[in-house]
Amino acid sequence: MIDNISYGLMVLGVVFWFWGTVPLLGHRSVLYKLHSLSVSDTLGSMAIVVGLLLKIPREWPLLLLALISLAIWNTVLGYVLAYCSSQGGGND
Amino acid sequence: MISILDLLLRLTIWFLLTSDLSLPNILIGIAVALLIPRRYTQLSTLKDWLQILWEVVVAIPQAYIEAVEIMVRPHTEEDIVTERVKPRRTPGLIFLDVFVITFTPKTIVLNHHEDGTYEVHRIRRPRRKTKAKAARRPWS
Amino acid sequence: MNGILIAMIGALLLPIYEAWQDEDIWQKMLAFASIATKTSIMILVVSVLRDDWMIGVVGVLILSVGNAALMLLAHILRRLNEG
Repeated sequence: MIDNISYGLMVLGVVFWFWGTVPLLGHRSVLYKLHSLSVSDTLGSMAIVVGLLLKIPREWPLLLLALISLAIWNTVLGYVLAYCSSQGGGND
Repeated sequence: MISILDLLLRLTIWFLLTSDLSLPNILIGIAVALLIPRRYTQLSTLKDWLQILWEVVVAIPQAYIEAVEIMVRPHTEEDIVTERVKPRRTPGLIFLDVFVITFTPKTIVLNHHEDGTYEVHRIRRPRRKTKAKAARRPWS
Repeated sequence: MNGILIAMIGALLLPIYEAWQDEDIWQKMLAFASIATKTSIMILVVSVLRDDWMIGVVGVLILSVGNAALMLLAHILRRLNEG
């Protein structure tokens, strides 16, 4: 049961990864791509890590740390990239 | 108030990193957390902190809901709106505000002005612009 | 697990291709940010797959140090564009 949920979360995460990464190849603005990347890289990766967490609960402290730092760093990087790319010009 | 929360945050990171709850480790953790320098910028109330922490918790399921939403119905339009910062925000609270807004996939904070506004970049579905405007975030 | 890892490698190829193909520096930065996150998550998955938690510790460390270098680079690029 737990195993199935864990696999389900990981598959969901990989689906998010694909869905969010494919728009990267298109010709949209940096900001639009940033929205879809936050779906894939933050939310998808979080789903995968939670899946791993269910698989090996004994390592929960480090995986929880990974989860928290993933959420914070990716979000902050999104903000920094958005800020820098819109301030410096050349934002198409 | 902020200093206690600050201490708790440091201790949490320490315990997650070492995953060891023995007495010496607790003492080392407290010593390290106290010794690391910090800045004293006070004046935010406990209520504000609890509220923003609750918003962070709520933001996680909401982010997944929004992710599924933009997967199911494509949001192809993009625009920039300005939102007001709530009055009397300390840098820590502003950081968490920016975090909550940027964490949800539909909105990204572009810039934070000194006069108390955020520039927020949103994506939304094409057409029905008035409806999209009305469905602004609660704190806007 | 193997299937998931192969799918992840497939997903990793997309930003690599984008980083190679796009000339615009910000699009390249986006692709690199994506590569960084994806590889560190893959390290975690591999560590579970091989049941070797030493690898996992490396992954967690990389995640918690984060993309600090990319943020620094973004600020430098912004300064360059301004000047």
